[in-house]
Amino acid sequence: MKKFLFIAALLMMSVAAFSQAKKPTLMVMPSDAWCYQNGYMKSIPDGTGSEKQIPDYEEALRTSMDLKLAIAKINDLMAERGFPLKDLEQQLKLIQQQTAEQNLVTSKSGNEMAESPIDNLLRVAKADIIIELTWDVKEQGPKRTLSYILEGKDSYTGKSIGGSNGTSSPSFSADLTVLLEEAVVAHIDNFNSRLQAYFDDLFANGREVSLEIRIFADNAAGIDLESEVGTDAEELGEVIDGWMATNTVEGRFSKLGSSENYAAYEQVRIPLYKSNGVAMDTEAFARQLRNFLRKEPYNIPCKVLNRGLGKCIIVLGEK
Amino acid sequence: MKRNILLFTLALVLAIPAFAGAKKKAEKDTEHFRYEIECAGNGTQGTYLVKVWSYSRRANIAAEQCKKNAVHGVIFKGYTGGNGCVAQRPLANHAGVEMEYEEYFRQFFSDSGEYYKYVSLTGAAQEVVKVGKEYKVGVIVSVQKDELRKALEQAGVIRGLGSGF
Repeated sequence: MKKFLFIAALLMMSVAAFSQAKKPTLMVMPSDAWCYQNGYMKSIPDGTGSEKQIPDYEEALRTSMDLKLAIAKINDLMAERGFPLKDLEQQLKLIQQQTAEQNLVTSKSGNEMAESPIDNLLRVAKADIIIELTWDVKEQGPKRTLSYILEGKDSYTGKSIGGSNGTSSPSFSADLTVLLEEAVVAHIDNFNSRLQAYFDDLFANGREVSLEIRIFADNAAGIDLESEVGTDAEELGEVIDGWMATNTVEGRFSKLGSSENYAAYEQVRIPLYKSNGVAMDTEAFARQLRNFLRKEPYNIPCKVLNRGLGKCIIVLGEK
Repeated sequence: MKRNILLFTLALVLAIPAFAGAKKKAEKDTEHFRYEIECAGNGTQGTYLVKVWSYSRRANIAAEQCKKNAVHGVIFKGYTGGNGCVAQRPLANHAGVEMEYEEYFRQFFSDSGEYYKYVSLTGAAQEVVKVGKEYKVGVIVSVQKDELRKALEQAGVIRGLGSGF
């Protein structure tokens, strides 16, 4: 009897441990505007024969002490609030190291590690919430004022979580480092209240994610989103809409666009926990849809592609 | 000798209600939390620098109540900014917190309450203005908002940023 009670207690404890919702990751990055203003941009080929400009974070972190200080200060203050951030510089170093290792590792028979173009594309510094930092110093004679913007963005829905901004009082003596540190300290609480409101909404109305449905061209199953499937001969797109309405929190989602090959769902509110109490993320939600579609009466093979905590793509027709 | 003892006892008996009355009045003023709070500058890390105006018939009582009112203001009111001073939201996440945890806050703001740990005078001169029959006293104080927030989070009064994850 005692043994049974002990096992039951252990099981309850493990369920409680798993029941914690997944903590979003946060990372501070300089905004594109700041990178452009301060000359930290680089050109890369855009695949169409021309070039495009993207922020050069490595160069910015290597040469701008002010940026490093501002990021370090925000990291410090957020850790104080029990929410340590991902460090951009460390993430960039990690990616470089992974790429170097990837190029060196071979099997005994000389085969390289498998990597698809999409794997390569996904290997970038990312977090679920990006905190964009911008500042600008204006000088009027001996006086300096600092304008400062801190804005949180949900990486996957692209929505702004809110932010904090302001302009310091004119200073004759303080250098940029001091002004910047003062601005971070003064604005971080307002930013955190926005973040708290975002998390409160998440707990009340579910996590907001995006989901895309795609079709493999000329797939073996011979289906697209207009194919009539199941016993009621409903169109596949309608079947998916029905499943979404049943399985989202209070049926909340919006369909951004659709065709026979594509459907995009945004503002999809998924529950934070599965029916067994385990934390739910977008991939788990997408897998539930995949399981629904590959069972009777639909029997549609599907592939789930995870794009992080907030976005998944389900490709129908093949594995 | 007997007469002296009698007079002393009588004076004591008369004085106690007078002190109690003043204290009661101060408590009454405090219980209503009649004050104004404004930003007095950007505080150092972990603190808010605020100017609090409190009202009382006695200037010294109003000055003392400013500390209590400052902590109350940081928790429930927040304050506006301007002129390089950054506005701050209240620490309480929603409006009903004060009613919901009434007993906790009654103890917290009592004279021997915990509020005292999170506030200190800055040494700036206090301003006293006579308004009708009472005094309006303005004092600049520093509130240890990070420590205050941690205490409220530990007491379960407000949610921490990472709670629930």
